[in-house]
Amino acid sequence: MEVLGVWIASLLTLAIYSFLYKDNPFYKVAEHIFVGISAGYWAVILWFDFAWPNLFEPLIVKGNMVYLIPIIIGLLMFAPFIPKLSWLVRIPLTFTMGISMALFITQIIQGDILPQLQATFLPLAGIHPFKVFSNLLIIAGVVFTLIYFYFSKEHKGTLGFAAKVGIWFMMVSFGASFGYTVMARISLLIGRVYFLLHNWLGII
Amino acid sequence: MGQVNNILARLSALDRRIIFLLVAVAVIVPLLIPIGLPVDITKPVKNIYDKVESLPEGSVVVVSIDYDPGSEAELYPATEAFLEHCFRKNLRIFMLALWPAGTPLGNMALENIGAHYNKKYGVDYINVGYKPGGPVMLLSLGKNVGDMVKTDYAGVPIDSLPLGKEVKSARDMALVMSLSAGDPGVLHWIIYFHARFGIPVCAATTAIMAPQQYPYLASGQLVGLMGGLKGAAEYETLVKRRGRALAGMDSQSIVHALLVLFIILGNVILVYQRSKR
Amino acid sequence: MKSILPIIVVFGFGFFMLVSFFIPLKGIQDTSQTFQNWYIGVMAFFIFIGIFNIIKINLEKIQRRLRDWQYSIILLICLLVMMAAGFIGGPEGGLFLYFYKNVQIPLGATMFSLLAFFVASAAFRAFRARSPEATLLLIAAVLVMIGRVPIGYWIWHGFPNLVEWIMTVPNTAAKRGILFGIDLGMISMGLRVLLGIERSYMGGGKE
Repeated sequence: MEVLGVWIASLLTLAIYSFLYKDNPFYKVAEHIFVGISAGYWAVILWFDFAWPNLFEPLIVKGNMVYLIPIIIGLLMFAPFIPKLSWLVRIPLTFTMGISMALFITQIIQGDILPQLQATFLPLAGIHPFKVFSNLLIIAGVVFTLIYFYFSKEHKGTLGFAAKVGIWFMMVSFGASFGYTVMARISLLIGRVYFLLHNWLGII
Repeated sequence: MGQVNNILARLSALDRRIIFLLVAVAVIVPLLIPIGLPVDITKPVKNIYDKVESLPEGSVVVVSIDYDPGSEAELYPATEAFLEHCFRKNLRIFMLALWPAGTPLGNMALENIGAHYNKKYGVDYINVGYKPGGPVMLLSLGKNVGDMVKTDYAGVPIDSLPLGKEVKSARDMALVMSLSAGDPGVLHWIIYFHARFGIPVCAATTAIMAPQQYPYLASGQLVGLMGGLKGAAEYETLVKRRGRALAGMDSQSIVHALLVLFIILGNVILVYQRSKR
Repeated sequence: MKSILPIIVVFGFGFFMLVSFFIPLKGIQDTSQTFQNWYIGVMAFFIFIGIFNIIKINLEKIQRRLRDWQYSIILLICLLVMMAAGFIGGPEGGLFLYFYKNVQIPLGATMFSLLAFFVASAAFRAFRARSPEATLLLIAAVLVMIGRVPIGYWIWHGFPNLVEWIMTVPNTAAKRGILFGIDLGMISMGLRVLLGIERSYMGGGKE
């Protein structure tokens, strides 16, 4: 059974890679198997890990009626399938939006803007000169990048120059991100090749 | 001159399948014949190691599986390396998943490493499975674990497990490790959980996400960071574990060198074409 | 009713949650907690509706014999088999985990690893220093690609430190600037949602 599993996994892996030559039925079959299996997986996990213990069990087994409220709001997600009632889908949407946005606003200020602002007030004296230079660069970089995003005034003259410096900082940052993206993709490939060579063929 | 011209013209019209083939060879050969390039340790990774070292025995570490099979290659080795360190230090693990398909991956790692250190489920570690609701769930979890967690991943009531009984709120947690491939993930642990409850957070992220974490490392909101497979390889080096991440580092190096060659070659062609015009 | 009720809901719950952040009274905190728990319950249905939609779209595809409809049959069979395995044997059941381990993991992991090849192809064809800005991006990318992996350390022991400096200074500065920009934009968006000015997300259903 275990060996069969490795063979299934390996053949499916090769089916996906066959796409590199050109699009073909093997790839398409593998792709659809993936979506089907994943969706089935989500349904099962959501039910067992959350929906049953946190919603339906308290309602059905313990008879706690309060749990009817989130269930009814949630069920309204299916309203669009009944044309006359389709507008009711707005209730779960507005309910979740209202709560998440309110929490988002307070948390983004408390957890993101304030600590990040604080971290930008860096010391410029009493430290190694190179550290002073680096700290100055960070402060300048944050300010100039922000200026680039300031669209209320045309980017001309001093403002234009500042925005341009902001772009330079962003370009370095995007370059770094690109380098890391390459790294990520290659790592995923290494993972699969390792699987084929180690688990399937057993040559490493 | 004509010859150079000819070669460059041919190169710029290269079939991409040849490039694909070169990449495949650059991955496969170093796996078959390892070079053993030395792995350097970066500060963000060392910071996680030091943080774990500093925790008293028995502390509860929250390990959040915020990835799925799509990032398994990058983050599973990090999961195992981190768990190995925690179990070796006799820390206890409270695992959950913010991504639906994360739970079994976390279980695999717990079972593999836990068995090696004779750890017992329910006492030394538990897995409470997938929890939806992302950031909002984290706020509830920190206030009262019982609101969010009634059972473990297998449906066993949480109160019947010794460790489950003990972890009541954020106050009972010493450290959070988010193994994160996107949203919900490390950002929510920082902005919601850490900001509200003050519990230190560290992360292992996909390489794609790593650069975005640097502002949080600088502000101290993130204790440490393993970025991608390289970060995991560094951690494996620190905990002296020869895992999948270290095994892949030679291939990673060679492919990167190959890609840099591609970039240089592409630009030589560009310069040449411009000079001709 | 159809447009007023949703606005009352978004404003009512949103405003209450905002206020509750600043008032540590037990009653208010408990209510806020209850609302949050409901929220998570409702979120579960978002995933259910997603699965429901996958089924619906593929059934329609089969019914109308749309292009590649045969593959939809495979998809639905896999979905049913996985659900049966999970609901009959439980999420700890052997068969359910067997499919997860031997089908879902390899397919998910391989699907995303395909991009490695396309990134390589793009490095050769598209990654060109056509302007000073593009050159800057290119240099940073090459330094990170070499300096962040063992070969960089092997070439020059100072390479990892140089890359760490790029990451902690110019990269951090730009990412932080972008982060402030996005946060401020999102806050104004959030306020527009709470005040009912922004309604595009409500979508579905006619006025």
